Amino acid sequence: MKNKRCLSLTGLILIMFFTFTPSVNAEGKIHKLGMSLAITGPTSDAGNPYSKGVEDYFRFVNETRVLGDDKIECMIRDDQYKTDVTKRNFEEYLDKGIVMYLNYSTGSTLGLKRDFEEEQIAVLPASYHAGNLDDSNYIFLPVASYSEQLVALSEYVVKNHKGGKAKVAMFIHPSAFGRGPVEDAQKAIKAGLNMEIVEVVEHGKNLDNSAMLKRLSNKGVQYVLCHTVQSPVSTMLKDSTRLGMTAKSYGEKGKLTFLGVHYTGGNDLIALAGDASEGFFWTCSFNLTSEPGKGTDKQLALAKRYGRDNKAANSHNYAAGIMVAQVVTEAIKRTKAKGFEVNKKNLYKEMNAMNGNYAYQPYTTIGPVTYSDTDRAGVDMLQIYSVQDGTFKKVGTPIQSEYMKKIE
Amino acid sequence: MSTNPWLATGNYFTSYKQEQATFHTHLDRSVFTLFLFLLFAWPVFFPMGNKYMLVIDNILIAIVAVMGLNLVTGFAGLISIGHAAFVGIGAYTVASFCRIMGDSHIFVTHFWPVLIIMAGLMGALFGGIVGLPALRLKHLYLAIATLSFQMIFQWVINFMSFFNQGQTIFVGRVTWFTGTVGRKDHYLFWYYVILIFVVLLGFGIRNLLKTKYGRSLVAVRDNDRAADAMGIHPGLTKVYAFALAGFFAGVAGALHAYLYRGVGFESFTLHESISYLAMAIVGGLGTLNGSFWGPVAIKLLDLNVEQLAELAGRYLPSSMNLATALRPFTFGLVIVLFLMFEPRGIANWWRIVKSYTKLWPFRY
Repeated sequence: MKNKRCLSLTGLILIMFFTFTPSVNAEGKIHKLGMSLAITGPTSDAGNPYSKGVEDYFRFVNETRVLGDDKIECMIRDDQYKTDVTKRNFEEYLDKGIVMYLNYSTGSTLGLKRDFEEEQIAVLPASYHAGNLDDSNYIFLPVASYSEQLVALSEYVVKNHKGGKAKVAMFIHPSAFGRGPVEDAQKAIKAGLNMEIVEVVEHGKNLDNSAMLKRLSNKGVQYVLCHTVQSPVSTMLKDSTRLGMTAKSYGEKGKLTFLGVHYTGGNDLIALAGDASEGFFWTCSFNLTSEPGKGTDKQLALAKRYGRDNKAANSHNYAAGIMVAQVVTEAIKRTKAKGFEVNKKNLYKEMNAMNGNYAYQPYTTIGPVTYSDTDRAGVDMLQIYSVQDGTFKKVGTPIQSEYMKKIE
Repeated sequence: MSTNPWLATGNYFTSYKQEQATFHTHLDRSVFTLFLFLLFAWPVFFPMGNKYMLVIDNILIAIVAVMGLNLVTGFAGLISIGHAAFVGIGAYTVASFCRIMGDSHIFVTHFWPVLIIMAGLMGALFGGIVGLPALRLKHLYLAIATLSFQMIFQWVINFMSFFNQGQTIFVGRVTWFTGTVGRKDHYLFWYYVILIFVVLLGFGIRNLLKTKYGRSLVAVRDNDRAADAMGIHPGLTKVYAFALAGFFAGVAGALHAYLYRGVGFESFTLHESISYLAMAIVGGLGTLNGSFWGPVAIKLLDLNVEQLAELAGRYLPSSMNLATALRPFTFGLVIVLFLMFEPRGIANWWRIVKSYTKLWPFRY
């Protein structure tokens, strides 16, 4: 009887032990990350594949033991493109003990900048707004800023323009996101770039741009540089085609040649604008699946592994999501290799050390990722693509802005 | 008075003063005091993470804003669909001081209660100005006038460089007797500050409604010609209703600015105005406690639907973007259902519960 009671007690203790002892990964550690982005609401067409890229790559890292026994737990929350919600998500992640944070929009990155500084946490946003870096030590842009992209496009226009001064118009988003780079383009002109900005158009929700296009044409504009999202650009391209104003070849006189920065292009633009997108020039720092290579093969294999549809698999936003996940994984890997604890402080140090011989080359980008105390833009190289026969094709070799260094 | 001052049963009023009392029985007073004590004490016993404290702080700020909206729309019967703009006026008053003096200036960090009141007064000033069309306009036309104010506000903020073109203008950390309120205590500190404002303003409205100024709001709502005949100035009453609502909204805006330590344009859009209106409708227009129920219900609903939409966004085809539609759909559905089946809002359920307890221990 006594033995039976003793056995029952031992059993009870064992049950209690296994029930209330938190489950731990006995062999490795779990590194917590947080990401807040627009899975629904405005810009979710970009946010959705972006989140899938991040999610898939971290699943791949955990399944293929890229970090050995350690695992990455990346919490992904929808913020509907709202700063208030992003802040709430960020606070939740901090409560849960994240070591690095992935953000999305320009507004929320600017809005939470002080929180990042106070928490001393490295942040990789999906916004490449140069203003993110003002008074900030912890924000790392994955690729060259919008400003650098717009100035690089302006330089491309000037280099390839025949005749006198190139006359351009800027077609921008009516927000700080859209306006910021225009100032830098104007600075580049002051620094000697042979170009004239005839008009800066802040688009609204126009469904017809005929009057605007006619006005620009009458003012002698030959190039329209866009810095906004795909939808207004597609409306403008369709209107221009309908009016017979689109240049058939680059810089055709009396016609308009359209060029755009990161978020204006991609497969979504082709889907929206159709044939009107032919001849559209676009800067991007990511490899595109329409120009197959080793990197894009890996991207497609990853998408296939996790059952993603063709739209997501071929999206440059999916590639951008993979890229930030790759950079974080690499920073964790390097921190571990040096025998340091993976925490906010050491990851920040490792991010800053990612340069020179230690620059990191992800398979998703056209150039290496470099960061330092003074360099906060990851991939500095830019590839110009243009739509040819319904797909984006490379135009020349990757470029880097010359004037950006002069005006910074 | 009844022989038992704890129960309402058998309690007959013999004077207007008795009827106007804030608490009719000792039980009412005790329950309210206990409730108030619990509101102040619970964070000490059940500390919560920053995320949930932020949610609670947000609900309290919405309560302040909706109390104002309820005054103008619920009690005075003047539809305002630009309430978020008034909240924005308060927030941008704080932001303007930060722009001019610097966000760490002593006035911003040490004299923040003064700045919050100033923001309220600025809201009242703009409320009074926007209320001027109410002298000539009614119903839908007045609603359009308030909508135009919302549009003008959005345009000004979005394009003026002084307001950073709508991007965040930072607000410094405030100082209390214990020193600068740091990150760790930030949300708890503001919980108490906002709660004090909610209690004070709540009592303010409760007492206002007992006065002739409060009753004139209701009189103008019910029939402004009849009110005029009784010696109430309908025009002045309408303008003052807007000013009062503007004051509440301004205070809410300033609290929002300090809570988020920054002011950005997107928190004061037309969508937010509609949300405030929905909170007032769901809570119960023309009732004080409706101003409390509405924000709690809508904010919690929003939080839950947000999680549902996020989950749906992962599994529904991205090309259709159905998950994005889930939130506005639920939001709209709740308003329509309340308008159809419970136009008096949650406040009516509270009234039913209260009237039942009033009769206790009798069944009828």
